[in-house]
Amino acid sequence: MKKITTIFLIIAVASGCTKLDQQLNNTLTNAQTADALGASFVLQTAYNDIGNPYSDPGNIFALEEVTADQCVVPTRLGDWDDNGKWRDLKKHSWKTDGIDIISNMFNGLNKITYDATNVLVPAFKATEKQKAEARFLRAIALYQLLDLYGQFPYREPGENLLNAPKVFAAQEGIDFIISELESILPNTDASNPKQKANPEAVKTLLMKCYINKGAFINRANPTFSDADMQKVITLGNEIMGSGKYSYSANYFDNFNPTNSGSTEAIFACPNTAGVATNNTRIDNRWWATVHYNQYQSVKGAQGGWNGFSTVADFYNSFGVNKVAKQTPEDTLLDPRIGGRFYKGCTDISGVRPGLLIGQQYNEKGVKYNDRNGNLLIFDPNIKDNLREDGADLELKGIRAVKYVPDYSDGGKNYGNQSGNWLILFRYSDVVLMVAEAKMRTAVPDNAGALAMVNALRSARGTDAMPTMTLVNPDNVSDPKTLLAERGRELYWEVVRRTDLIRFGVFQKPWYLKPASDATHLLFPIPSGALASNPNLKQNPGYN
Amino acid sequence: MLLATMRKLAMLCMAIFGFTAFALAQTTVTGTVTDKKGEPQGGVTVSVKGSKNATSTNNQGVYTLSNVAADAVLTFSGAGVTAQSISVGGRTAVNAELETSVGNLNEVVVVGYGTARRKDLTGSVASVKSKDFNQGVIASPDQLLTGKVPGLEITTNSGQPGAATTIKIRGNNSLRANNNPLYVIDGVPLDGRTARPSLNLGSAGLDFGATPESNPLLYVNPNDIAQIDVLKDASAAAIYGSRGANGIIVITTKKGTAIGTKLEFGTSFGVNIGYMKKYKILSGNEYRQALQKYNLNASFAGDASVDALNEITQKSITQNYSLALSGGSENGKFRVSFLGSSNKGFLKKTSLDKYLGNFSGQYKFLDKRLSVDFNLIAGHTSENIGLVTNNANAGGNLISYALTWNPTKAFKKDGLYNLLSNSVPNPLAVIDAYDDVANVNVFLGNISAGYKLAKRLDYKFLFAINHGTGQRNTNIGGWLDGIEGVSGSGFGAISNSTLTSQTFTHTLNYRTNLTSNLIFDAVAGYEYWKTDFSNSTLSASGFNTNLNQVTKIPVLYTSFLQNASVQRPLTKSVDPKTEIQSYFGRVNFNLSDKYYLTATFRADGSNKFGANNKYGYFPSLGARWLISNEYFLKSNAVISNIALRASWGITGNQEFPAGASLEQFSSTAFNNIGQTNVANPNLKWEKTNQVNIGLDFGFIKNRIYGSLDYYRKNTTDLLFQNTAIQPAPASIYFINLPANLINSGIEFAIGAAIVSKKSFSWDAGFNIAYNKNLLKNFSQALIQTATINGPGVSGALGQAITDNQPVNVFYLKEFKGFDSDNKQIVGNSPAFVGDPNPKFILGFSNTLKFDKLSFSMNFNGALDYKIYNNTANTVTNKGILKSGRNISLDAANSTESINSGVEASSRYLENGAYLKLRNATISYAVGDLGKFVKSFNAFISGTNIFVITKFTGFDPEVNVDKNRNSYPSRNIEYIPYPTPRAITFGFNFSL
Repeated sequence: MKKITTIFLIIAVASGCTKLDQQLNNTLTNAQTADALGASFVLQTAYNDIGNPYSDPGNIFALEEVTADQCVVPTRLGDWDDNGKWRDLKKHSWKTDGIDIISNMFNGLNKITYDATNVLVPAFKATEKQKAEARFLRAIALYQLLDLYGQFPYREPGENLLNAPKVFAAQEGIDFIISELESILPNTDASNPKQKANPEAVKTLLMKCYINKGAFINRANPTFSDADMQKVITLGNEIMGSGKYSYSANYFDNFNPTNSGSTEAIFACPNTAGVATNNTRIDNRWWATVHYNQYQSVKGAQGGWNGFSTVADFYNSFGVNKVAKQTPEDTLLDPRIGGRFYKGCTDISGVRPGLLIGQQYNEKGVKYNDRNGNLLIFDPNIKDNLREDGADLELKGIRAVKYVPDYSDGGKNYGNQSGNWLILFRYSDVVLMVAEAKMRTAVPDNAGALAMVNALRSARGTDAMPTMTLVNPDNVSDPKTLLAERGRELYWEVVRRTDLIRFGVFQKPWYLKPASDATHLLFPIPSGALASNPNLKQNPGYN
Repeated sequence: MLLATMRKLAMLCMAIFGFTAFALAQTTVTGTVTDKKGEPQGGVTVSVKGSKNATSTNNQGVYTLSNVAADAVLTFSGAGVTAQSISVGGRTAVNAELETSVGNLNEVVVVGYGTARRKDLTGSVASVKSKDFNQGVIASPDQLLTGKVPGLEITTNSGQPGAATTIKIRGNNSLRANNNPLYVIDGVPLDGRTARPSLNLGSAGLDFGATPESNPLLYVNPNDIAQIDVLKDASAAAIYGSRGANGIIVITTKKGTAIGTKLEFGTSFGVNIGYMKKYKILSGNEYRQALQKYNLNASFAGDASVDALNEITQKSITQNYSLALSGGSENGKFRVSFLGSSNKGFLKKTSLDKYLGNFSGQYKFLDKRLSVDFNLIAGHTSENIGLVTNNANAGGNLISYALTWNPTKAFKKDGLYNLLSNSVPNPLAVIDAYDDVANVNVFLGNISAGYKLAKRLDYKFLFAINHGTGQRNTNIGGWLDGIEGVSGSGFGAISNSTLTSQTFTHTLNYRTNLTSNLIFDAVAGYEYWKTDFSNSTLSASGFNTNLNQVTKIPVLYTSFLQNASVQRPLTKSVDPKTEIQSYFGRVNFNLSDKYYLTATFRADGSNKFGANNKYGYFPSLGARWLISNEYFLKSNAVISNIALRASWGITGNQEFPAGASLEQFSSTAFNNIGQTNVANPNLKWEKTNQVNIGLDFGFIKNRIYGSLDYYRKNTTDLLFQNTAIQPAPASIYFINLPANLINSGIEFAIGAAIVSKKSFSWDAGFNIAYNKNLLKNFSQALIQTATINGPGVSGALGQAITDNQPVNVFYLKEFKGFDSDNKQIVGNSPAFVGDPNPKFILGFSNTLKFDKLSFSMNFNGALDYKIYNNTANTVTNKGILKSGRNISLDAANSTESINSGVEASSRYLENGAYLKLRNATISYAVGDLGKFVKSFNAFISGTNIFVITKFTGFDPEVNVDKNRNSYPSRNIEYIPYPTPRAITFGFNFSL
């Protein structure tokens, strides 16, 4: 009897010695990642992090463009209400919480900084070149965080994630980013292509830091130091003198499905036609604006979601020396306004890249209708409350097709596997920053700036501006300003809010937007983030 | 190694099975004990007068007693029955019909790692026996219980046959989605997940969102269940430790009996006869009138009149066949059962087919010192799932297509589908082109061996394995129009899942009389449980076939996925293995059958917990005073039972993703590895402190009986997805939040044998539970959850988790009426506008018997809560009419301007209160037919017969999963699979 009891007890005890260590199955531990894979993989993750936040018009684009003067998302009865966020962004009436984009992008940008910082953890044994790339990617995210939220949290490599990290405010933040960029410049691989950190990309970001420094530190009344402006000019001249870049023959070639070869792209995120994996979803740029019916040559296809629009004031600013008529005759204006036949696009859907106004035609020249049977005539007039509810609600708003839709492979790449690369830094921005800096130096060189701008305009196939000022505070859309030229060249390239703040006019009224208060010069720190890190300070005016 | 062991065990079982046929003893007496109405009586002591030879009846009222002399007298006794003596007189079968009271206190209740008599219980345990189960259409066992147990809220999430249910015992206990009770089948704790692969069409780039989850109990044959016990308070549940906080549902399957071989056969045929409650949309004529009234595009008006909601439904015959063979002797019993059922869904093409087999046996050896029990379930289920997703946005789903299809446009012309009308895909074409079939094979086997080590000491070992594999093939024909990502391209996906869990349990049982009136018993045990889960999906689009409805062929894309031009890479996930190792014990004291005390303790170690918190400890205490056994009440004619119970204890919850305590790097593609989570090495279980005070009562020989319970649950160290401290690799991470989630409430159940005669009897039961849910000391920022979907409302969230509010309180912009243009006015900022957690849930049942004819009805309902009608908000609102789509009758009849716009607001909160006649059954017990057919019984049963409610959607019993980042949602209705009214006819008999 006792024997049997003993045997049972032995079985019971013997089976009870599990250590309860958890084994990961399809994920790797930190050590495994470091030993088996190393830094290049972690670095690639940081690269992949950047594409979507900048590609999707519902992300950083929404914060930078919908809040500015060139973009509006009218509510079309049931469509595009989206909890009122598009109206709040346009009217500068957003509050601490309520717009998901504000917290999503705070997290999204911080994820870039986290993944980039991970490359610097010693266990991953990154090379100096890899470290430079990682620090460059982190600098992009930190710059954008500073731009949107006026501060950023910062962790050292390997820091305990359960502890609240320190936070950099505007002045120390911009100084830190600049010191980072300057210290990595010598280690940045000059042979890196445009989709990798390269010296010109680092310099472009440095230029952005210097030119915006005064605005980041004092958003309501930006000031610009001569030293900073000289830096912008020097760096810009180095880039222009590198011989790597030239203006494209056709402006829209920079944004078409084969723009990987763009001669203007300094830094870009790659996409491959036909491949959905890691696609940045650049296709949402055209889906967001094109009308539902504007793609019918392939059976069953849908053109877009009929949402994002632009406004007449911007459209009209293209007629610097002529008056925009808002008719097909406007093809006589600046080619950047679009309206011209573009092969691989107009012959497939009728869409002419650029701004779409008036009657829309299909690839055979037949008039498109909207879904209610009305002629599809895009109408620049939008109700002041941004709530369209008439029979013409699908027609409201001029559209902007900047990235040329990818119609390849019978339309299969029109969606989440389009081949257009996302262009993050472009040569013409460098040129325009140099021109701007020349006008902001202690001894302004307005003539030099105008010459540079007119050279750009000439390359674009449009006529020269006779005179140019920086900005007209009473008319944000005044065409004969550098601000307007930046708009014409860089519209819908996710820089407009930053520009308007730097040019001191973000609080001014413009079409569909009343004068707004200083609170909205910054976005709020999301409440969840604020609660998690006591070092973050809520921006003034939010609670 | 394991396989070899299993094979040996299987051979052993077969040997035992063959052997018992010869083991029948000559002097053995068997029989069935029933009451005067013929209901079997379990727990009745059967003894030979003048000897110590005794046994007791099982739940079927069957007993077997060996070594009985031919002239012996048997005594049948027990609480709740009047003792009776019967002479054996040389017979081998002695049945007894006892005078009995209702609310049997001697019934056996299954508690953790053992059983107890109801009258000995100190905890709050509700038992439902097979005779009291819900009738009618039962796809999974949990539906047997709806409305039967106070404080148990069972919500079927979708009308899809086999859909998952949301089960809350005593309120909303968690801040995470997918928190159901722990299921224990014949002593085997389940994983709670299912091997049916889940499918999120959203992640494949389609705008449909995720399909509802499947029920994890599908492979349990409802006909095999003898009893379900619901362990509610801590005294009962704490022995399950870190998995006990959501309550335990213990399922006990039927066992063989010792009275010869018996064959039971049952069959039923059913049909869905229509909507339980139809969503009112415009007919063709009403639609044409509405177009005129609002002066809308005349081209919208066709000349047909179609009813899309009817067209998408089917009236196919559902069939069920079940067969059970049982038999055995005193030393060996077996039961084999089979179920074949083909359950047709209400929506065309949807179905659930089940083929289940169960083999169980109980064998005794070595003069009954050694017992070997086993139970094997093998099941195959096949679900044909409709395109009814939870969180479709503007893309919609089948239900939204049916609701908004222009009712003046014919579905077909010249034999071909009219594919698209005003951007709404043809719902019939969608049914035709959508093919989503999930096949799941499940095996659940357990074997246990018990050995009587000493007179009062028993040892038991249990090993169980639960293995399920599932494959799901999803096809959407590219010939459909108007569906982004599908039209002109086609879509196919193959998903696979595997779920394997194993349990090893050792228990020691000791029972003794410490003094003449103090009984002591104790259980001590060790358990090891582990589970593995993996899931993979392969999808592709851009096929050459089925791009045109004229040339479509019946070959599925998933049968030749390689044809596709766009091949998405296989995505595979393998969860970290979860292991739990536990030590547990329980002691019971019973003093003079008046004072009872129970104490339990469990130590749980889990590898999910962080390195700093490997073990959790869960104690409980329970006491009971059986007042009616005191001398002053003992002979009271009115009061037959009065008992007071009190218990306290701590239960735990560890339902968070495995791996959350560790740093993880994952790969989404070649050359791409990144950190994906914020590890928390301090992570541990969530604790629920529960106090329960209960009163059991029975009057007039227990003809009126019931219980009243008060409880207060305080859940702390809440497992919570906190906002990650940026910069971080993820936006959230798990912590134990030092907040308090309080559920407190009162449960009341009463039953009565109103009339109890042989020719006519009437039994009624009623239960109601009140629960108040409140989150306190929540210092985090308000969390918004419950995604509101549909065109125009992206980014809108309906509910919040925040301090001093119930979990999932509705948090919406306030609706402030209409302006002078009859446009809606909606406030700018959200406010707390209602509670989705029902304050009251109730059930009510009646059984009437007129001789052989019986009639039963089961009602259930919920009161005092709100439902968000997301369907009315975004799918059928008035403005939709302008785009040539159909809308709801309510919207069309309202004075609201057609230009009013769409916003998520408190306007769409509706009173959710309802009372539903869940089922009603008329059955006729024909009795024995001829020489061989016994107990022939025929029935007709209706399911979801009617619902009384003010809710304007399909069914107020709804819970479409709208979780955001795994923060749960509650009671939101959005284009769900509608609930059908069904009628079932069937009969059963035994041989």
